[in-house]
Amino acid sequence: MKKLLYIEMDNCIGCRSCLAACTQCGGHDERNRNYVYDVNPLVDRQTIPLMCLHCVNPACARSCPAQAIQITEEGAVLSALVEKCIGCQNCTIACPYGIPKFDEEQNLMYKCDLCYDRTKEGIPPMCASVCPTNTLQWITEEELAEKQERHRLGKWVSSHQPFEPLEGETNVKISLPGILQGVQKLF
Amino acid sequence: MDRAFASKFAKMYFMTVVALLILVYVGTRFFTHIDLALYGYMVGTFVFIGGFFYRFIAWAERPPTKLIMKKGLKLLFRKSTPQTSVEHLGTYRFIFKRGVYRWTQHVLLGWGCILSCCVTFPLVFGWMYFTMGENGLYTVVAFGINVMQVKADGWIAFLFYNALNITAFMVIAGVCMALYRRLNNMQAKAEQTFTYDFLPLYLLLFISITGLLLTFSNIFLHGWGHPVISLVHQWSVILTLIYLPFGKLAHIPFRPMSVLAKNYREAYGEQQMKACKVCGSSFVSSEQSSDVIQVLAQNDISFEMKEGFHLAELCLPCRRKYRMSRFTGIPTHEIKVKEANQHAKG
Repeated sequence: MKKLLYIEMDNCIGCRSCLAACTQCGGHDERNRNYVYDVNPLVDRQTIPLMCLHCVNPACARSCPAQAIQITEEGAVLSALVEKCIGCQNCTIACPYGIPKFDEEQNLMYKCDLCYDRTKEGIPPMCASVCPTNTLQWITEEELAEKQERHRLGKWVSSHQPFEPLEGETNVKISLPGILQGVQKLF
Repeated sequence: MDRAFASKFAKMYFMTVVALLILVYVGTRFFTHIDLALYGYMVGTFVFIGGFFYRFIAWAERPPTKLIMKKGLKLLFRKSTPQTSVEHLGTYRFIFKRGVYRWTQHVLLGWGCILSCCVTFPLVFGWMYFTMGENGLYTVVAFGINVMQVKADGWIAFLFYNALNITAFMVIAGVCMALYRRLNNMQAKAEQTFTYDFLPLYLLLFISITGLLLTFSNIFLHGWGHPVISLVHQWSVILTLIYLPFGKLAHIPFRPMSVLAKNYREAYGEQQMKACKVCGSSFVSSEQSSDVIQVLAQNDISFEMKEGFHLAELCLPCRRKYRMSRFTGIPTHEIKVKEANQHAKG
């Protein structure tokens, strides 16, 4: 059964467990590849996690002169192949979300690979498996459809999307923070 | 002249084969010293060149590849080029930074293969051969010129005779290290496939072992089975050569691109850096920023925002913060606060 990463932004409390978990993924070399951002740092404590959203048409791979960024059958956009990456950093400039990181010493780009060693077996990625507030979820397509149906209840309901918040279709699905009114969000 | 060939491929292939034949003509003292036992390798090489150009041209025609290659070649003669080339293509400094184990493995494999080629191909094309002058002395002839005389039982001669044995042991050690890593490393286990990651290793292993078997047969079996083994060895080399441009080993001929990329980044970085349209800090050369925008446009991707900038014109932290603004409506990227702890270090 195909599962996907789903981000329920409302739930994030900024604990950064996802960053710590990311460092522990096999092959990540104890360096995290995701981010947690303060939305309005001088005013409140709201945070939102940001990681590679695994675009269906990834700009990083399209801009790579060495064809080092592979896309798996499941739609995961992998980190650069070590033997192919020539260190030009086009991908870091092309990514609309600013996700790829670059190691100058190793002359190598590295980015979220959706913990491919885990997710290809149906195991949730490290970040989703540790998230204490269910911000990062690993759900089936049916569960996603159910959630989206619930969010479509009305104009003021949580997570309605007034405009397209992303650049093109992504394999990671998101739910924007919104206003709860009359409907209880259950996770 | 352009009309003389059906395609760029035809032209490049023809030119290379002609150049090679001329070099053979000169090197073999006008076709008088061809080692016909090796002619299979020669045919194999010609087939390899065809496959290589086919793959290389398909690769180089991609918009981002073409751009960096074209600009990188113009910038080839920079002061830093020799050092970059040595570090990227010779000492593999960047792999050392990825781990000593991987570096050792790569040096053994890489230099094992390169040295083997440096021995094999000059012999195949007759660019180098040995003649016996006086008794007990060998003359090394390179391109028809007597380069040096060595004692037939001296240590230099020993290295000459055993060069391919030594490199075979290097490659076998490297392959074993690589196989061990592939069987144990989590990341490798997740992403590897038999055809892409294992096949080239097995091919190199097969070549090295059949090569060593030739020596074994000479020393211990009085040459028993030598003709058969040499044919098996020859075929395995030819097969690997033909396969080379299409699998993982293609990174060998394509790797010099990393020197071009480095020059491209350095040269344009010295010219003018791009200031982030939000925070004003410089993060990449202006040239590369506009190149990426152009490459994306060729792929029908445009990240022009209604705020009046292209996303490739924002530095990475600002680009991430800008996404927060798209998620929430709060202009996070305009709030002058450094991004909070992003390194999971408490």
